[in-house]
Amino acid sequence: MSSTEQGTSSAAPAEPTTAPESAAAPEVPESFYYVHGKDKVVHKVSAGALQHSALIHGMISNLGYTEEQAKANPFPFENIDGDILQMVVDWCNQHKGKPTPPEDTNLPKQKEKLFDLVLAVNYLEIKELLTYCCKQVAMMVKGKSPEEIREIWMIPTDAEDEAAEKEAKKRAGKEAAGETAAAAGDAK
Amino acid sequence: MKLSKYPYVVQNEILDHMNYSDLFELSLVSKKIRKLVKSSQMNRLKNTVSVMYDCCYPFGTPLVYIQFKNNNILDCSKLFYFTPYGTRSIIESFHNNFLYFFGNSVEYHWITDNYKLPIPRLENLSMCFRIIIGDTFGDLKNVDNFLSSHPVLKSIDLGYWLKESLSPESESRLYQVEYIKINQLNRTNPAVLRNFQGKQAIIDCYLFEAADLIDFVNRWISGEAYHKLEYLAIYKYREEIPRDEILTAIGARHIDATRKPPAHSVPRAFIEYASRPNTDPIISHSYVVRESDNRVASVLIERDTLSFGVWDKTEEEFLRMVEKLQLAN
Repeated sequence: MSSTEQGTSSAAPAEPTTAPESAAAPEVPESFYYVHGKDKVVHKVSAGALQHSALIHGMISNLGYTEEQAKANPFPFENIDGDILQMVVDWCNQHKGKPTPPEDTNLPKQKEKLFDLVLAVNYLEIKELLTYCCKQVAMMVKGKSPEEIREIWMIPTDAEDEAAEKEAKKRAGKEAAGETAAAAGDAK
Repeated sequence: MKLSKYPYVVQNEILDHMNYSDLFELSLVSKKIRKLVKSSQMNRLKNTVSVMYDCCYPFGTPLVYIQFKNNNILDCSKLFYFTPYGTRSIIESFHNNFLYFFGNSVEYHWITDNYKLPIPRLENLSMCFRIIIGDTFGDLKNVDNFLSSHPVLKSIDLGYWLKESLSPESESRLYQVEYIKINQLNRTNPAVLRNFQGKQAIIDCYLFEAADLIDFVNRWISGEAYHKLEYLAIYKYREEIPRDEILTAIGARHIDATRKPPAHSVPRAFIEYASRPNTDPIISHSYVVRESDNRVASVLIERDTLSFGVWDKTEEEFLRMVEKLQLAN
């Protein structure tokens, strides 16, 4: 059973034979689902808007929830900040049933917000939005020198990479030694 | 924003949206990133055909650009401006970066018009030289020394208005170049036509004798010279080339006049800015056959131009191709 909150159909034409075929077909009532992020704020989103997310679309298809079940069991995305999820929901609503334009200029300009949005969109598998976001991330370094790129994307130097690698090896060695000692203790 | 925090698939998508110039700047940031660029962009990078260090970029600043195939169409993309004779280690680091990405799979060209500055010795780098030698030029010896100074000579674009040869003809490196375009306005016989040992030549000449052309074709037929030749076009400014006289003298054979002759065209040995990737097609009923290996060359004489295109086919294979072409039409 689906939600009927948004209305079900328009008035039937007086002469069905002369009406266009699409107008004569009964409209299917739209279903709604519920999602929340880290902040537990629940967002109501139509199935049409959620089609942008391959992850949620797959979940919906497998669950076959009724309106009541959907309301009672919002999809939890604890790894996504509330404001970021709000952005994602807004984008899905804006682009519901529409072809996506080649550019999207409404993406966040702040680096950290864009960073979180990319992670969320990748997790939710929203292909078009991921493309827009990645394009924007790429544009951040357009025409920049290697040093400027390093700063913008916080890329470690070779020396820093080497030091981190040494540290990781050292840690792994210690852990392995600890495990060996523990195993020897167990054996005793 | 830490690029390394993104999953590989996202890093990949970000890099997909970067142009070549930004990708190369990125690859200079660290070894780890360079590795990421190579693995992530392999599909794009493998279409690269050549890396060009152009010291005579027409708009002033020397430029490094690449030429690549995009859906089988040749294209080019600017990478960065550079200082050709600046700090050697900087150029070496750029070049090593290119070698890391492309290895031996692309050509590396250094294009210069200054014979007084040596070309850096970098792995796989070939020299492309252009110069106009006017009728009062007096430094021929140094030009010749310059040509001899680099192990690989790829192309020469030469405006030559002197009467004397660059050096004893048969010894000059000039004639060993793979591709030559020469504009010779004096009245002497074109030395390039006699001595060329490379693959492709375009010769613009003020005046020459029919005997020079006949001699050229006959030496090719006998296998005495021009073993690597693929394409040659010679233009005569002053007057028409005597077509019938030459075709008779070289013993040209002819495809039946009712048949459509095949078009000879090969990839140009030297291409700049992705323009005109192939030689001009030669469509001619006349051809000659090399005695040593039965290889065919199409010969086309039209008013002031003789075009000569060597096929990678014996006469039998060539005629079979003509038959096939007939059936296809």
